[in-house]
Amino acid sequence: MFGRLTWDAIPFHEPIPLITSLVVLLAAGAIGIWVWRKGYAPYLWHEYITSTDHKKIGIMYIVMALVMLVRGWADAIMMRAQQSLAIGASQGYLPPEHYNQIFSAHGTIMIFFVAMPFVIGFMNFVVPLQLGVRDVAFPTLNNVSFWLNASGALLINLSLFIGEFSRAGWLGFPPLSEKAFSPGVGVDYYLVALQISGVGTVLTGVNFVTTILKIRAPGMSYLRMPVFCWTALASNLLVIAAFPVLTVVLAELMLDRYLGFHFFTNDGGGNSMLYMNLIWVWGHPEVYILVLPAFGIYSEVAATFSGKPLFGYRSMVFATLAICLISFMVWLHHFFTMGAGGDINAVFGIASMIIGIPTGVKIYNWLFTMYGGRVRFNVPVYWLIGFMLTFVIGGLTGVLLAIPPVDFVVHNSLFLVAHFHQVIIGGVVFALMAGYTYWFPKAFGFTLDERIGKWIFWCWFIGFHLAFMPLYVLGFWGATRRMQHIPDATWAPWLNVAFVGAAIIGVGIALTVVQLLYSIKTRDQRMDVTGDPWDGRTLEWLTLSPPPHYNFAVLPDVHGEEAYWTRKQTAIKQDQLIDEPDYQPIEMPVNTPTGVIVAFFAALCGFAIIWYIWWLAILGLIGAFAIFVWYAWRDEHEHIIPVEEVRHNARERRRIRMEHLHNLSQSV
Amino acid sequence: MTAGTEAPTLGLTHQASEDTGLGHRGPQSKSIVVPYGFWLFVLSDMVLFSALFASYASLVHATDGGPTTSQLFDRKLVAVETMALLISSFVCGLAMITAKRKNMVWTQVWLVMTGLLGLVFLGIELHEFSTMIAEGAGPQRSAFLSSFFTLVGCHGAHVTAGLLWLGTMMAQIWNKGFQEHIMRRLLCFSVFWHALDIIWVAIFTIVYLIGTLP
Amino acid sequence: MTELDPEKLNVAPGVPHDSMLSETVSYVVGLGLALVLTGVSFWVASTGTLWGPGVATGLVVLAIAQMGVHLVFFLHITSGPDNTNNVLALAFGVLIVLLVMIGTIFIMAHMNSNMMPDPTQMNLQMQH
Repeated sequence: MFGRLTWDAIPFHEPIPLITSLVVLLAAGAIGIWVWRKGYAPYLWHEYITSTDHKKIGIMYIVMALVMLVRGWADAIMMRAQQSLAIGASQGYLPPEHYNQIFSAHGTIMIFFVAMPFVIGFMNFVVPLQLGVRDVAFPTLNNVSFWLNASGALLINLSLFIGEFSRAGWLGFPPLSEKAFSPGVGVDYYLVALQISGVGTVLTGVNFVTTILKIRAPGMSYLRMPVFCWTALASNLLVIAAFPVLTVVLAELMLDRYLGFHFFTNDGGGNSMLYMNLIWVWGHPEVYILVLPAFGIYSEVAATFSGKPLFGYRSMVFATLAICLISFMVWLHHFFTMGAGGDINAVFGIASMIIGIPTGVKIYNWLFTMYGGRVRFNVPVYWLIGFMLTFVIGGLTGVLLAIPPVDFVVHNSLFLVAHFHQVIIGGVVFALMAGYTYWFPKAFGFTLDERIGKWIFWCWFIGFHLAFMPLYVLGFWGATRRMQHIPDATWAPWLNVAFVGAAIIGVGIALTVVQLLYSIKTRDQRMDVTGDPWDGRTLEWLTLSPPPHYNFAVLPDVHGEEAYWTRKQTAIKQDQLIDEPDYQPIEMPVNTPTGVIVAFFAALCGFAIIWYIWWLAILGLIGAFAIFVWYAWRDEHEHIIPVEEVRHNARERRRIRMEHLHNLSQSV
Repeated sequence: MTAGTEAPTLGLTHQASEDTGLGHRGPQSKSIVVPYGFWLFVLSDMVLFSALFASYASLVHATDGGPTTSQLFDRKLVAVETMALLISSFVCGLAMITAKRKNMVWTQVWLVMTGLLGLVFLGIELHEFSTMIAEGAGPQRSAFLSSFFTLVGCHGAHVTAGLLWLGTMMAQIWNKGFQEHIMRRLLCFSVFWHALDIIWVAIFTIVYLIGTLP
Repeated sequence: MTELDPEKLNVAPGVPHDSMLSETVSYVVGLGLALVLTGVSFWVASTGTLWGPGVATGLVVLAIAQMGVHLVFFLHITSGPDNTNNVLALAFGVLIVLLVMIGTIFIMAHMNSNMMPDPTQMNLQMQH
């Protein structure tokens, strides 16, 4: 009746998951009750859960990412603690079966449920605004994509309470991940969660490529798009290209596990090397999916806070597309040591070094953007400079690793671990924090507290270096990754420094929460009245903060690069806004519960598959199909926003902007 | 050309701006955007099949001492399957022509034929699979067979999903007529159906023909 | 609209046409070509007329031709106001497909020849 699900699945005998589960359940319950009693539930349902508004969906993605960041960091500090304690005779506090689940969960969560949603959240919020349009190409699909991602996150979190997680690392290599060596539910949780969220991600990819290629403001040709939109395009092209391969390889592993197929098994002719190959065909583009939008964020921040146009716009575009293309030609560098031989290793090694060149072009362009500008040292600029210092070193260690003979020495050592954390934290995370500070006022109408923002930066910057610089040294000394027990006591001081670093990062994360609460409490002191708190250059700063549901009363005409900047300078020079346009009623897509209901059935079906509850799995599939058909039958797709409302909001915006113009001319 | 009578996307209610000379007129209409997005999805599906083909190509000789391609595949059946799917694609195209002219009866006729031919294809494929399994040449026998059943089976699963979609479309057209959004979905369905035939060309060539060359 | 218009029949395949007959003609021609190419494929695979190693290549060429027929006659890839984007998207898809397939086959062939144990060792390992 319940497959292999029994009461034993609940970790009554394991204190850490048990206590965590209880705390999380109590906290979630408390928040749920508080929301209900305060009457926020209908608001949340209408404004966020069923919303087809790209801005709301973007915010939901980022909230999910920040919550999962806490769990990912908790895994990290547990690993650091174990490695500091388990030296010599001591076995630490985490037996191998638990330690292995923790490093697997840490990687899976950080890549799939922190970095990806955070990046996708930004693309959601920013791209339509920067393109000067009202929403993405497929708003309902956007909602569905978010909820499918959330279903995946839910399943990963359920694995802590019910059952166990995979012990096979964040990529689940066979034969370890095969049924013979991992008979429990852990790998199944991993596979099902990633498959469900993977569908959501592919749909996001289709949505954004279509939006960027087909839905832009009048006059915005390709070479007038902001660089963030170019990087979003490249990233989503990679999503469309790479995620189907992930779907296939995870499905093949599922077939091995569930139906006894022999894709990657040791017997029956299976070939586990095929898994490595295919998973990295996905895995390498994946990291570029993360880092390209991050580069886009840096481009926006550099230009805005230097008060200068981005240096070398066309070379940036070209470099972005070059990185997009080459990133699909380097994947073997993740398994130089698997035995393809010198010739193939050389091809991929050279390609891996070549990809550093367009990245270097970008670094120079950011430097030249800042050079000769009047740089304002707001918090996003701290992250930008921190990125340049951190990421360049990470990139250099990457070029080092791209040399096969070097890689043979340090493959899968802590040197590698330090490298990829350096590029992901220095490259992606720092950008996400910069973007969070930069676009927060646009989303919520007030800026975040700058002082705490700088503390957060220093915690991350110092914490990161303390946590990972020692790992380079340890890697050269022969320390491999994923060690539950440390054989060499001379490594202890280095690991202890790393532990302190991880703890300082934790302080940074805690301060992020503090900053948010404090900023909300004192928001009256930092209201974003004009909608343009940073003297921005791109179209999202044309709107008030937060923008109306439909973004722009009238889609802006774009006449050149930096559409908003030129328009603003003209207004300042002429001391007047452009002529009032002719307002029309606006059609916007309606809200829909389709996404959350489909995701519910997907999660149900996924849970049932994991626990072998076949009748429930079929029910889930039927439910998902039924809601899909129900959705397809609806007749109301859009609602009309009356012209009076459009006109009222627009005139309010114009009034505020005129006042701001007058203040500017008076202060001159 | 088509922009005049189509519903604009997302409230593009703005007066046309001066032509920038770069030809960009603002957000494009749904009749372009929806099929383009679906086309991208179809391309992602092609990448999915390419990974399955790559797996197949890597594992085709991993027979573990069990049955090989030459011992298993029946070209005559494959020829019939190919004809069924090809003609199914053709009548699907005819359905698009009559749908454009809002001819309910003929559209449903051609769509029924599309579905029936699809069912013929599936029937033959299921027969082939069950025969192989009964002979002990099921997907659990060897890596080659695992990859064969997965590649061909995935195509069959897509055909099945397509037939479910076709049934839904036929009901929708019957119930709601040839409204714009229904027509867009029908166009997407036909793109999907033709794409499946393209994948089948690759399958019968690589798996069944090249696979059984002497 | 329904009369036989000789000029319309001379329109290049795939170009937007709005006569029922010329649209139907497009599908009929496509079907005919596809049938011919399919028939030739089956014939090539079974006859000894062609030089042995060339058969596989010939079959691949025929398959690509058939895919082209589908793209042009059934999917009207070249028609429509925005066909450039369609063709570019297709080109991107084809590139990825080629990279994945050729890359994997290339890599796995090397891996297998370098790393797969020989059969005598394999039998020892399999005894569990």
